Amino acid sequence: MTRRGRTGLWAALAAPGTLWIVALFAVPFYAVAAVAFGYTDPVFNSPVPEWDPRYWDFTAFNEIVRRSVSGDLRPVFLRTLLYVLLALAVCMLVGYPVAYYLARHAGRRRGLLLALILTPWWVNYITRMLAWLNLLQDDGYVNDLLLLTRLVDEPVRWLSGNPVTVVLALVYGYIPFFIVPLFSSLDRIDERLLEAARDLGCSGRTAFWHVTLPLSRSGLMTAGAVTALPMFGDYYTNTLVSGSPTTTMVANQIEFYLLGGNRKELGASLVLLMSALLMVLMAYYLVASRRAEEVAA
Amino acid sequence: MPPSIDRRKFLLVSALASVSAACASERPRRPSAASAVPLSRTDSPAALPLHDDIPMIANGLSPEKGGTLKLLNYAEYISPDVVKKFGKEHGVEVEITTFTTQEEAIAKLRTAGAAFDVWFPTPDVIAKAAVGKLLQPLNKTYLPNLGNAWPQLQNPFYDEGARYSAPYNAYTTGIGYRADKVKDATGYDLLWNPAYKGKAYLIDDPREALSLAMLKNGSLEINTEDPAKIAQAGAWLTELVGLMSIKLGITAYQYVPEGQATVHHCWSGDMINAQSYLPKGVDADVLGYWYPSDTTGVVGTDSVAVPRTATKPVLAHMLINHLLDNAVAQENFSYTGYQPALTAITPEKMVTDEFVTEQLKTAIVTPDVYARSQQIFQISPAAEALWNDAWATFKAGQ
Repeated sequence: MTRRGRTGLWAALAAPGTLWIVALFAVPFYAVAAVAFGYTDPVFNSPVPEWDPRYWDFTAFNEIVRRSVSGDLRPVFLRTLLYVLLALAVCMLVGYPVAYYLARHAGRRRGLLLALILTPWWVNYITRMLAWLNLLQDDGYVNDLLLLTRLVDEPVRWLSGNPVTVVLALVYGYIPFFIVPLFSSLDRIDERLLEAARDLGCSGRTAFWHVTLPLSRSGLMTAGAVTALPMFGDYYTNTLVSGSPTTTMVANQIEFYLLGGNRKELGASLVLLMSALLMVLMAYYLVASRRAEEVAA
Repeated sequence: MPPSIDRRKFLLVSALASVSAACASERPRRPSAASAVPLSRTDSPAALPLHDDIPMIANGLSPEKGGTLKLLNYAEYISPDVVKKFGKEHGVEVEITTFTTQEEAIAKLRTAGAAFDVWFPTPDVIAKAAVGKLLQPLNKTYLPNLGNAWPQLQNPFYDEGARYSAPYNAYTTGIGYRADKVKDATGYDLLWNPAYKGKAYLIDDPREALSLAMLKNGSLEINTEDPAKIAQAGAWLTELVGLMSIKLGITAYQYVPEGQATVHHCWSGDMINAQSYLPKGVDADVLGYWYPSDTTGVVGTDSVAVPRTATKPVLAHMLINHLLDNAVAQENFSYTGYQPALTAITPEKMVTDEFVTEQLKTAIVTPDVYARSQQIFQISPAAEALWNDAWATFKAGQ
């Protein structure tokens, strides 16, 4: 087969994927932009998407940027960033040891343990969250336990707009997505490298610090990206466990503008702004993970 | 956030702005202050325009046979039994398409090729729909039961002469509470009482919640377009964040009986429905509903109309008439929890018929309540934007 023919074959093989991305990402994304930069129907007050970029109107987008930089959306953005960072930190503290144990020490039981970690995710997300709502009630089992063990003197108000609950709920919702990629990256680390480190005089701790941790960096980055992206877009967890203005995240405001009222262009603009920020983070991730791979190689 | 991102964002915005300035445009722009649709008020009713190209159906036609009668309604907002019996009687299938907001319903009605026979709009969108040619005028000769409706709604302010709509349900907005925990239900200040901190909820809707703040503070201007007054209402609501750890929701029918909420700003139908959400061993007497006995309450109604695209318009009229029948309406009520706006439905009768407990008599709406209460009207798009802004600021929770 000629080189040219082969290129054609690869292009043909990539076609379904390309089509998929165009149909399910590019077109909807363009539709969001068309709503954000479109106009409003004078009779129905409903958004009319403007498909022709020559006629795009950026008033709504400018308003959203202004409010995000210095207005009411600023605390919302900062809060969202803080919650996601905290949730990632907890994911790391909880998820790393679990993934490490699975990859290194679980032996024959690792398949079983991995399955057990994923088992709760066989249950529908809403059902699991509703179960938590019952457990976290003022007179629920969680508070019963805390009171019984004298960890607290009065019931913790978990569900009264408590930021701690929101962060923990985010962790709970996404931690398997953190553990699984991290596990696979830890699992791939060549045991002989660690043996070499020990031969060269490293203690267990320093071997971890100088060999395992740097080698799992790309896995950590992937796990972080895979969990952070949906956390940024999550609004329902927050609605369920808090529903209070004290914990409003960006996605909650997007939901407000897109589900009701006649300012859909503001919601669509907020989607675009959020996507732009996430793309910056994504670009950083791509650059950093390539660098991490180069180090590993 | 690192300054470089801010700069990048700034550059992006300026780039976009210059592009937009560069291209001259003759397209319609953002909503202007003037609305293309008449804004009806109880004291200045609107007669909605009739269109030559959309005639009403002729008198005395016989109902269409076979096929599917298509309803466009909120979820769980009509009794499946009532619908099934009606379909059986007339030999048609009945199919219900649901929506969550009226904007969504209008989008569905405007979809090319979509046809619906009966739609359940709220009064604030009927004018838009009539001006926008989505509805057909009703032929009242098919609606003898319209006489069962409240007198005010046989000729409603939002559709003078009931050209396009018939009344469906009525409800008030008040405060649902746990009668076992609240000693006296004194008024709107229930939601400003720190004794219920963390167990207090507002309806998650800008107009309803901001109106509550105005009414609590003695203002009846719940349709104002004055930016200062709207912002003031937002400030009043913000008090609740610190004072009450206020939460937002629309599931009072569940949270009050289950005890997650002690006081919940809600619709009257929520408390009637709450009777079927009581956990085992909890008595219906724990449910209370407070509604002001003066003019400071909010009342609302829903209606039913026939879209222009109806393929079974005669049968659609017959279903509307069926729903206005006293017995059918009461059966429907027992399913939806939302009360038909019919004169035969009185608080006393509802208690005797064991529809509601004595304590929930306040959740039944009467023509008197309707007459003395305030209503949330359609306002200009520009004003609606202000209400939304005030709400977004409150929700951002600085």
